[in-house]
Amino acid sequence: MTSATIQCAHCGQNILPAERISESFADRQVDFCCQGCRGAFRIIHGAGLGRFYRERQWPEAGLPTGAYRLGIDAAALAGQVRSVPGGNELNFLVEGIHCATCVWLNEKILSRLPGVLEARLNYASHRARVRFDPGIADPLAIFAAVASLGYLPRLDGSDARQQLRLAERRRLLVRFGTAVFLSLQLMGFSLALYAGYFQGMATDARQLVQWLAGLVATPVVFYAGASFFSGAWRSLRNRAPGMDLLIALGVLAAYGYSLVALIRGGEVYFDTAAMIVTLVLLGRLLENGARHRAAEGIERLLALAPTSACRLEGEEQHSVESSCLRPGDLILVRPGERVPVDATLVDGTSEFDEAVVSGEALPVLRKPGDPIRSGTLNLDAAVTLRATCAAADSFLARMAALVEEAQACKAPVQRLADRIATVFVPLVVLLAAATVFFWLGRGVGGATALLHAVAVLVVACPCALGLATPIAVMVATGAAARRGIFFRGGDVLEQVGRLQLVAFDKTGTLTRGQPAVCAVVPAPGTSAETLLRSAATVESGSAHPLARGILCEAERRGLTVPCGSGARTVPGMGVALEDGAGRVLVGTREFLAANGIPLAAAAAGPALTEVHVSRGAEYLGVIRLDDRLRPETAPALAALLRRGVRLAVLSGDRPRTVERMTAGLGIEERCGGMTPADKAAWIAARQASGLRVMMIGDGLNDAPALAAADVGCALAGGTDIALETSTLVLTRPDLGCLVEALDIGRRALRIIRQNLFWAFVYNLVALSLAAGGRLAPIHAAAAMALSSLCVVGNSLRLARLPRQKGR
Amino acid sequence: MLSSILMLIILSLFLATGAWLIFLWAVRKGEFDDPEAPKYRMLDDDEALPANLEDRHDPPA
Repeated sequence: MTSATIQCAHCGQNILPAERISESFADRQVDFCCQGCRGAFRIIHGAGLGRFYRERQWPEAGLPTGAYRLGIDAAALAGQVRSVPGGNELNFLVEGIHCATCVWLNEKILSRLPGVLEARLNYASHRARVRFDPGIADPLAIFAAVASLGYLPRLDGSDARQQLRLAERRRLLVRFGTAVFLSLQLMGFSLALYAGYFQGMATDARQLVQWLAGLVATPVVFYAGASFFSGAWRSLRNRAPGMDLLIALGVLAAYGYSLVALIRGGEVYFDTAAMIVTLVLLGRLLENGARHRAAEGIERLLALAPTSACRLEGEEQHSVESSCLRPGDLILVRPGERVPVDATLVDGTSEFDEAVVSGEALPVLRKPGDPIRSGTLNLDAAVTLRATCAAADSFLARMAALVEEAQACKAPVQRLADRIATVFVPLVVLLAAATVFFWLGRGVGGATALLHAVAVLVVACPCALGLATPIAVMVATGAAARRGIFFRGGDVLEQVGRLQLVAFDKTGTLTRGQPAVCAVVPAPGTSAETLLRSAATVESGSAHPLARGILCEAERRGLTVPCGSGARTVPGMGVALEDGAGRVLVGTREFLAANGIPLAAAAAGPALTEVHVSRGAEYLGVIRLDDRLRPETAPALAALLRRGVRLAVLSGDRPRTVERMTAGLGIEERCGGMTPADKAAWIAARQASGLRVMMIGDGLNDAPALAAADVGCALAGGTDIALETSTLVLTRPDLGCLVEALDIGRRALRIIRQNLFWAFVYNLVALSLAAGGRLAPIHAAAAMALSSLCVVGNSLRLARLPRQKGR
Repeated sequence: MLSSILMLIILSLFLATGAWLIFLWAVRKGEFDDPEAPKYRMLDDDEALPANLEDRHDPPA
């Protein structure tokens, strides 16, 4: 094989000179033996899989031996091994899983390793779980086995935390489930006791049922309710009476009273104690779920930055943990990979998808010297970057910190309940004490006085109060979900009902977020149709947002667009296509100028994107594209204004663009040029002045603002981060849903207030009866049942939402 | 009369214990770990069950 022989860039075979097809790709010339190979090459590069060509080795089959033998730290690996019954366990991510066959292959090979007891690979999460005998197998060998298959095993730091959270959730679930099963039994016994109270009951039968009720209630109180006691003990030690203390007090009082009544004869309250524990546990479980999702948002944010990076040391490539990168390190980022840390581009030119970072739909061309943010996706070519800061100080980490901070600041509804409890608990205890002294003063026995006081404690416990909010929230969120409106938790529903100011992101929220053609300006002597058709032909094979905008317009005008194959893309500049009638260029002003096309001085609108077109040496004209408002934006904003909500726009775009796009919408404040931190600060400032603010956005750059706002709202189609950090999600990208959400929130708030009123009235009546020593158990039972019925029935009204009025 | 009630109650307790054990088993198995994902799983096009693949991909004997 002489050096003069040319080989096909795809299949590697020698090319006959007559059949050679040359093409320039990413600033170098590539040759193919046939059109098929050329097509395959383009498809592979188009899918961002260009590394295929670097990592294969012809003529030997399979992957190069050293391709994945990148220095994985044995110490770091050992730190990830957990000891489980029957061996050690290693959890890691496997990169490069594409189909079920990959899963099958990895599992087979791993389980054939000596010492490996079990190997499981989750297809959806790409997470492998390998159980092995530490005496025979070692984690390095497991990694090596995966790497030898051509997959990239990677340690996953978030794994341990996730396992911990999962374990906590399971524990809570088991407690709640146990409480529910036992409470169901208890309910049967209570029914018999209540029936016996009215109809009379044989004493021995009653005692039997009472004993059984006590038996069943005991584990509910002391096993399922254990967390309340520890919480109450903590709050006592800190001298800060909380909700836990109130619950523990009520439960213990009811249980203790019943125990005494069981021995001395009398009515028992075991069902009260058990039901309080069960209902409050349900509330805790729901809250735990909401917290879980919030934590996931932050984790996903950090997951955008790859955990490993390829560091260049001289000629060698080393795979290192991203956290090991220091400012000044050279890193190689291949197409299809995300940038691990903030860096400047040193070598190479490529387009980067910054959509998750800035919400900007168009890929951005970066040249040597340009700064690149962590988390952006390299699209075209392998580039060398110089890290400018450590991973912990990078854009993504700062963003995650901002989100975390904002989420921590937001007072959860639990704290509100605690605030009420700090007043309510001492009050109830005082009332109980007053009852004892009052009855002692009246000269009844000490035991009777004490019993009356305990009755006060029992009825004070917020059973219907505990139901008042959750059930209304549950019904309202269920009804809203059927319309594609998802409230993350009950406090969100309340806050939506109280909103005073709504702040919008511009791109992708008020607007479609995709460029559409707004003007076709042909050069003199050319028709608009010719111009558009030429451009559409060249762009027909492209997935670039601008190309899609042009193709959409051509389709809208009913033009038949011949499929132009063999177009050549110059990243960030434009596209060129050779066809029968000469070379057609479609691209920026600079692109055409560089190719020697004289541009007629077309006046450019300030904020528009321009695409110039030429054929041969002739300039055909310019197509202008612009982002457009969603069709429903104006009516939805008008409906919000009618409901007395103030509006604002916070955009990272240029202020002039923001002004122009949002003119005439009745928006009070229009701010442009804002950084993510600016947006969050703006919202915090409005909150400080006493306004309740909602933020609506779709990009990662909105994430801190979404988390900082009282309600963060994301539209479907936004980035995952926006969806995770927001508390209200609209699954239809329709701002009209926002108006509906507002109406649902306001209605739910009204119903919750009514519920609280009823629950309080019954509690107050029962309290006064108990303090007066006139509380028969049947009164307590009736009050409890009635208040619960009122609350549930009232809440069910929310299921019938009014048809979208006032839209 | 009382003894029949007692027997019925004990029977019901046994039944409930059975249901409770099934619940515990389901929690252990991770049945409740992610209530969100299953509803999206049907939208996943290229998911095949790895369990079935062993038969399909094993080389013919």
